Amino acid sequence: MGLDTLPERGPACPPVTSQERELTKTDATIKKVLITGVAGPLGRLLAAKLSLTIDVCGVDTHRWKGPRPDIRVHRVDLRKRQFEDLLRAERPDAVVHMGFVRHFDRGDRVRHDVNVRGTKQLLDHCAKYGVRKVVVFSSSAVYGAFPENPYGMDEDCPISASRSYPEIRDQVEVDALASAFLWQHQEIETVVLRPVNALGPKVGSMMSSYLKLPWVPTVMGFDPVVQFIGEADLLDALEMAVVKPLSGVFNVVGAGQVPIHTAIQAIGARAWPIPGPLFNAVCRQLFALKLWHYPSGAVDYLRYPVCLSGRRFEDATGFRPKVSLSEMFDSIRQRGG
Amino acid sequence: MMADSPESVLAIAREVAGVLRPSWLRRLQERIDARMARVPARLNEYGFDDQGLSPDFVRQNMLPIALLYEYYFRVRTVNIDRVPRGRVLLVANHAGQLPFDAMMLSSAMLLEGEPPRIARGMAEYWVSELPFVSVAAARGGALVGTPKNCASMLDAGECVMVFPEGVRGMNKLYEDRYRLMRFGLGFMRLALETNTPIVPVSIIGSEEQQPGLANLSGLARLFGMPALPLTPTFPLLGPLGLLPLPVKYHLYFGEPMSFEGDASEDDADIEDRVDRVRAAIEEGFERGLAERSGIFS
Repeated sequence: MGLDTLPERGPACPPVTSQERELTKTDATIKKVLITGVAGPLGRLLAAKLSLTIDVCGVDTHRWKGPRPDIRVHRVDLRKRQFEDLLRAERPDAVVHMGFVRHFDRGDRVRHDVNVRGTKQLLDHCAKYGVRKVVVFSSSAVYGAFPENPYGMDEDCPISASRSYPEIRDQVEVDALASAFLWQHQEIETVVLRPVNALGPKVGSMMSSYLKLPWVPTVMGFDPVVQFIGEADLLDALEMAVVKPLSGVFNVVGAGQVPIHTAIQAIGARAWPIPGPLFNAVCRQLFALKLWHYPSGAVDYLRYPVCLSGRRFEDATGFRPKVSLSEMFDSIRQRGG
Repeated sequence: MMADSPESVLAIAREVAGVLRPSWLRRLQERIDARMARVPARLNEYGFDDQGLSPDFVRQNMLPIALLYEYYFRVRTVNIDRVPRGRVLLVANHAGQLPFDAMMLSSAMLLEGEPPRIARGMAEYWVSELPFVSVAAARGGALVGTPKNCASMLDAGECVMVFPEGVRGMNKLYEDRYRLMRFGLGFMRLALETNTPIVPVSIIGSEEQQPGLANLSGLARLFGMPALPLTPTFPLLGPLGLLPLPVKYHLYFGEPMSFEGDASEDDADIEDRVDRVRAAIEEGFERGLAERSGIFS
């Protein structure tokens, strides 16, 4: 499926006026949702879940093999003209933005351009074409891992990851862009989600791919508490963010948190403690040689806790995580463990 | 028995050591176990609370500290029953170069408090940067001393230890013993905000355990250390010189104090209340110093 599947461009639609928007706002139900990054593992699951009740279309630069016939998937780059055309043609009520480059394999510039410029353009288009709900999928990593982090950080804590982990500053910028959009366009319901590390058979996070390494390096003498959320819970949270009347920045926290060595043990893997300075140095070298996927800034997340409070989201939506820690760990349990 | 991995060798060694352990040691461990069994805690399926406290870790590692408590510092508590149930701030003097005072105060709450409880310590930021120490501190219930951490502990009904003198007290000189350094005001704002009773604790003994002759703060800054105390034995004897003298510890618990007011008041108004806590601690000093016959008894 490629660009040829783009729907026929309809008559040129003028941008929606604020008056029209007021009219549409009264009809609060979301009937059509567009998901960016739909070909990713989480995007696929979310598309399948939402399509039970809502008309779903998706966008991705990657091909999604075998989408269900009722889910229209367009192979478009967010930064390109075709995306605006698509949005104009599809006119979704809601947009879920999770089309990000989260790995480091293609370099800083690509990452930054896709994530930051892509988000900026997407938000602009959303404002222009009458989207009523925007859900931006950020991450708990934006707070940054620091020795002075308190437990139960709320959404008002500054997002300072770039201080020690400049490689993900684009992610911090995306979060900040979306939060600014929230205030600039109060007529649009904007939800910025900062979920903790996702664990599940299909959906992963940087933390879960780390835990699935054949040998799991840890920082000797450190054992920070790490939070996890099961993939089913994460999908529930995303659905609530789309469907419920909701606006704001929210941490999304799962059913529990444990020290990282306990997590490693629970999934049946073995930890290899490495002295911190050595770990950082080796990490930096191997990353530069592209032999290792994690920049040395990521090592701080194995040193210091980033523990969030999910209370605001729970109070606003009634969300309650259901997947327990042991169920999460079992779902990615390594063979022989 | 086959020993096929380093863990099983360790386990066997531990078992052998357990059998060889003299009965008085075993009794002390049994006492720790019995007290720990009564400590209330909100634990997840892996035995940790949300801040990484592990009662199991405390139970397994408490013995050396209990030995210090019983046989080295021979801690005596006075009026420990004044500590109310539920949330409470223990506010104490701080001295002695290394935080044995915090260790002994929390041990007292565990071994002699009723009900036994794990007093949560508020650690300096740099403690989290120390390998091993940071983990031991977290498993033992200490947290980075941010107002947010302290407030959430109090909200959860915990007993929190505060040393408002901070490093100023810890590194005070011998000539300044039993003289309280400047108090930080944060604890009082938190007490007002969370409506928490304060129990003043006067710790007698710690102020002589490691007599500070000078504090080479300039040199300390050069090495990026929080302080560089000069004592009769440190740095002369190296790390060994950090061992405290076997002074006798006396912990005097004062009457619980309740304060009312607005946490955002000016420093001056907060200071008035802080001064009342200081006075209560000094009162304990007076009584404690009069009651003891020497620093080792």
